[in-house]
Amino acid sequence: MEPQMNTGSSPSVFICGSFSFIRGWCLPIVEVADLRKTFYLARHHRGFFGAFRNLATRSYREVRAVDGISFQVERGEMVGYVGPNGAGKSTTIKMLTGILVPTSGRVEVAGLIPSRQRRELARRIGVVFGQRTQLWWDLPLIESLELLRHIYRVPEKRHRANLATFAELLGLEAFLDTPVRQLSLGQRMRGDLAAALLHDPEILYLDEPTIGLDVVAKQRIREFLIRINREAQTTVLLTTHDMSDIAHLCQRMLIIDHGRLLYDGGVAAIRERFGTTRTLVVDLEEDEEFAGVPSAEMVREDGPRKWLRFQREAISAAELVAQVAARYRIRDLTIEEPEIEEIVRRIYLEGIGGDQPSAV
Amino acid sequence: MRDDLALYLRLIGADVRSQMQYKLSFLALALGSFASLFLQFFVILIFFQRFPHMAGWSIGEVAFLYGLASVSFGLAEMVSGGFDRFSQLVVRGDFDRVLTRPADPFVQLFSQEFQLRRLGRIGQGATAMLLGQGMAGVTWTLPKLLYLPVVAASGAVVFVALFILGATLCFWTVQTSEVTNIFTDGGTEMVSYPMEIYQEWLRRFFIFVVPLGFVTYFPALYFLDRPDGLGMPEFFRFLPPAVAMLFLAVARAVWSFGVRHYQSTGS
Repeated sequence: MEPQMNTGSSPSVFICGSFSFIRGWCLPIVEVADLRKTFYLARHHRGFFGAFRNLATRSYREVRAVDGISFQVERGEMVGYVGPNGAGKSTTIKMLTGILVPTSGRVEVAGLIPSRQRRELARRIGVVFGQRTQLWWDLPLIESLELLRHIYRVPEKRHRANLATFAELLGLEAFLDTPVRQLSLGQRMRGDLAAALLHDPEILYLDEPTIGLDVVAKQRIREFLIRINREAQTTVLLTTHDMSDIAHLCQRMLIIDHGRLLYDGGVAAIRERFGTTRTLVVDLEEDEEFAGVPSAEMVREDGPRKWLRFQREAISAAELVAQVAARYRIRDLTIEEPEIEEIVRRIYLEGIGGDQPSAV
Repeated sequence: MRDDLALYLRLIGADVRSQMQYKLSFLALALGSFASLFLQFFVILIFFQRFPHMAGWSIGEVAFLYGLASVSFGLAEMVSGGFDRFSQLVVRGDFDRVLTRPADPFVQLFSQEFQLRRLGRIGQGATAMLLGQGMAGVTWTLPKLLYLPVVAASGAVVFVALFILGATLCFWTVQTSEVTNIFTDGGTEMVSYPMEIYQEWLRRFFIFVVPLGFVTYFPALYFLDRPDGLGMPEFFRFLPPAVAMLFLAVARAVWSFGVRHYQSTGS
């Protein structure tokens, strides 16, 4: 019933079939088959008497956080894993890292079963939670990185080489000796990325790595991720709310909602079909009377800042900016990609089907 | 095991360095706890002015008991910060981070925090013991002197196990600190007095179920050369190290069960 599709098999599957001696390397690094996780939440009765009822009767509500998901990730891929809040993204990641045991289905990461071989797997994966740092708050960044070397038992020589590489790529030198609590959000995220990568993980899970960052900081993080993906062949699985992260980083994306996979395929195809509305955010020089422009719809207004939604096929961003600039003085502008929520809503509304190949 | 210990020392070293960034706050906390606990001790002294004996125990003997309880509990608090504040760790999601690292979660939790400021309670306890043994006129022998640190450490291990059991409750419900406090804070209070003053069922509970009786009462009988008012076998005085190890093993097993429960429910 649910719209789902798969845009063909990746090229490495083909290569592996032909050269069996490299199969070991080619086996997918993540393999998930019919994965499910059901939580039973105690139903709470409200009020004074409700408290007693909670003690006496325990009734449970079944929540299927992940409800039959299957996918594979090949080594060296960079995959976006997106969906609205509560869609089941972090439950999936928790099962992939071994934090949670699946209710049913199969998970294999780097040839290991995460919930059974959690500590062994931990050496081979890196995890960054965008909103929570793993660095020691009151110590200089360099000390956190040093402590992690001991937690992961990275040989000293290897550690020094990696540290030198990351310090250069991420520009850490300037603040290696600064206590983490004094770092800016962007600096801290760079530190966290280095921290997650110092033990040479084969796969990196990133949970909202650019949340709260400004455009420059975001760009820096993205460039770094592209580099380590290309040079170290690190597989990256990225959950994010920011469609532009996906657009910059991933060829492939998985869209999940209500614990089910809605889409597994190319990013370009989805943006082409569902990402057609974008929003131009302009800051005008003065808070003057704003009558709008013909080819865009004003969806929000906050003093001199206006949000103008427009269709990609109707007008190019450059033309729209020119239209606005012809009538008003612009101080600053950004173009927002459609939100994940908006794309998911449109997938429900319009269905995936169409001319896309192989609906599953 | 040796690697775990090295990692533990390294991590608490880092934590102590972090705390040293706030030297003033550290000093204030340590002195504050020393002072407030000392006041508490004086209240007991004043109490004894009116009733010089408690279940046949002199004021000096009770002070010794009280001091021993404080030293053991202070040592336990010093190393159990990660378990004591475990519910916060779970709520903030930091426990998930622990599970994504290759080191033993048990070691990682002990390494979360080293509460240096608890030196206040330990200092206060040691002072009370020193005063108490003077007043009670304890005759010290070499075996007694050697056994004393073993007893203090064993008592600390019993309290550590209680902190671990308290933390384990967090896997089922978040509001656990009150329940845990009954056994940790309440337990210290309780072992500060001779067991004879408690009801039969309570004594049994604190000897055979939650072995707090082995923290102070039985070993104190040995140091003070007192007869046992409960009529338990003489060798109970030398059981604390074994009891502590056994109780810690039980706590660790229950903890592992809790972790597995967490991994299947995620709450």
